[in-house]
Amino acid sequence: MKKLWLIFRHEYTRHVLRKRFLMALLSVPIFVVVMSVLVVIAVAVQNDRTPIGYVDHSGVLMRAQQRSDSDDSFGSSLQISSYPNENTAREALVTGDIQAYFVVALDYMRTGRVALVAEKQPGDNVVSDFEDFLRYNLASQYPAPLDERLYRQPLVEMRALETDRQTASNQLLNMIIPMAVGVLFIIAVNTSGGYLVQALVEEKENRTMEIVVTSVSPMQLMTGKIMGDIAVGLTQLVLWIGFPLLALTVLATVMPPVAGLTIDMGFVWLMLALLLPAFVLVAGLMAIAGATATDSREAQQIASMFTLPIFIPYWFSSAILANPNSTVAVGLSLFPLTAPTMLPLRAAITVIPAWQIALSLVLLVTSALGVLWLASRVFRIGMLRYGKRLRLKELFIRSKRGGAVA
Amino acid sequence: MNTIVVDHISKTFGETRAVDDVSFEVAQGELFGLLGPNGAGKTTAIRLILDIFKPDSGTVAILGGEMTEAKKDRIGYLPEERGLYQEIPLERCLTYLASLKGLTRPQIRQRLEPLLEKFDLVDHRKKKVKELSKGMQQKAQLIVTIIHQPELIIIDEPFSALDPINTQMVKDMLREERNKGATIVMCTHQMNQVEELCDRLVLIDRGRTMLYGELNEIRRRYASPEVIVRTLEPLPAVINGITEIVPQNGDYKLSLAEGVRPNDVLGELLSSGLTMEKFETALPTLDEIFIDVVQGKTGRA
Repeated sequence: MKKLWLIFRHEYTRHVLRKRFLMALLSVPIFVVVMSVLVVIAVAVQNDRTPIGYVDHSGVLMRAQQRSDSDDSFGSSLQISSYPNENTAREALVTGDIQAYFVVALDYMRTGRVALVAEKQPGDNVVSDFEDFLRYNLASQYPAPLDERLYRQPLVEMRALETDRQTASNQLLNMIIPMAVGVLFIIAVNTSGGYLVQALVEEKENRTMEIVVTSVSPMQLMTGKIMGDIAVGLTQLVLWIGFPLLALTVLATVMPPVAGLTIDMGFVWLMLALLLPAFVLVAGLMAIAGATATDSREAQQIASMFTLPIFIPYWFSSAILANPNSTVAVGLSLFPLTAPTMLPLRAAITVIPAWQIALSLVLLVTSALGVLWLASRVFRIGMLRYGKRLRLKELFIRSKRGGAVA
Repeated sequence: MNTIVVDHISKTFGETRAVDDVSFEVAQGELFGLLGPNGAGKTTAIRLILDIFKPDSGTVAILGGEMTEAKKDRIGYLPEERGLYQEIPLERCLTYLASLKGLTRPQIRQRLEPLLEKFDLVDHRKKKVKELSKGMQQKAQLIVTIIHQPELIIIDEPFSALDPINTQMVKDMLREERNKGATIVMCTHQMNQVEELCDRLVLIDRGRTMLYGELNEIRRRYASPEVIVRTLEPLPAVINGITEIVPQNGDYKLSLAEGVRPNDVLGELLSSGLTMEKFETALPTLDEIFIDVVQGKTGRA
């Protein structure tokens, strides 16, 4: 056990203390920050904050009020001013007091016609803010709570027939988080798995393996390496997911809208249950790639055969979003290599039947254990093969004989 | 008690029979030579002894029985192709590999310092392994081989990449370890090193045992019927029992007729009144035996 711990610690520190790990670790948050800044800049450049105006011929906006912004919106609405007639509105437009004005037709209640006048194509927020303003004031003519129900979108909750699990459709994070966590999971699994393959091939190529297996058993060596690899991957994930969560918690204290967003705990448990067996599965496959390959290029090729399937749910994401319970979607939820990304994706948009989650987890754990067994066998036979590929047949013949190494 | 007992082991990879019915024993405390040309099966034999591979047939007993995980801590191994973690500092690399041999941190600290000094690596301890020269890496690897004070040391080609000074240092180190009681198996194709260091040897070629036994006994076995002599006076043209006289570096090499022993020749020379300065049986060098055995396939195991 002591040697297993030594190998684990060595594997973990030799990857984590290297510059390339730090670069990989920082690249994701840096990328996210840069992208966010770019988006904010783009929105700021696009969205003209100059007020807008309106001329109401219909009389529906006679006692119009602007809704206060503070309750549930991320961005504030444009200031909206009333003009008695089109001439004054046009004047304001020419002088630049407003960027556009709307003319509510006399027969608006019957036809719904509204004209928009502007010097150049206005941003999307001009139309949406005026629509919101119009709807709010139309609804406010009715007594509470009817006004509120007319103005707001209904809160739709999705329920599965056989359980009481439910998903709320209005939670923004519910959609973004599975996607983001899935992508981060793929990156973490791939980078840490890549390190494992590289370390194995390097040790084979420079013969360090020979020294190590005359000090510890191949099983200890492989287990220590895989555990180290998983720890490296989890370190990345915890930091990538932990810091944004911390940031959100801090933000929630200063920005009430953020506090309103909740993360579905069912989703968190699902991710946690998937994470570990998925890591073991991929790490085991990487160990097989490293132990069978004759050089690093070949190892990368074999490794990519295992990691490509993890991306499949994203290739089909539009089809899956349209029909999250199709046969393909269910099949990909059950297949061990695609389940870790497919299940969270579906969980975001639909309610997955409990039997599918259970079966998927059972298949994932079983295949992870199977791969570990196979990896230990491949490792024993393939670790000291130089320049000669290991054949599948050999693996099973030798396993009957009791393996190459005790 | 023998430290290693190899009993009729064979190992085949695909179509190649790397080791074919090889047997030998290594006694406790001896310096044993495992010889053979490149590709003879030496490294495979070592891997079979170290339980990295299992033999197809035959058995290996090491330190009194089958290999166990606990026994690995009592063995030091220097593989032919050197392997150290290239990306980490030398001291960290050595500490890790020594810890895998069961040494505690304080033990490693205590033993590493004098070894680094002895091998002239103190100034390089913080450098990454890949920044060291080939010779330095080899010396570092020797530290890994002996730091845990193993009872059995198996070293494959220990002198490759070493300059004459370091070669001498390694020879001294091997003798020192043997004097401390360690059993050493030295695997090499450099016959002069074996001649200088080893007590006994086995010679393998194409997976088969060609020669096995004590070094001097083997040389006597391969001695041709010749004597080397040097006398103050010139030799007579004809000597009884001698078929040919050839001058050689100021000496004479005399070929003995069939049935004539060196003692008979010595008696003959002394009785003819010659003053003897040198008289020795012409023993072949291990190099000559090696070439003879490997090319002529005249092994007598």
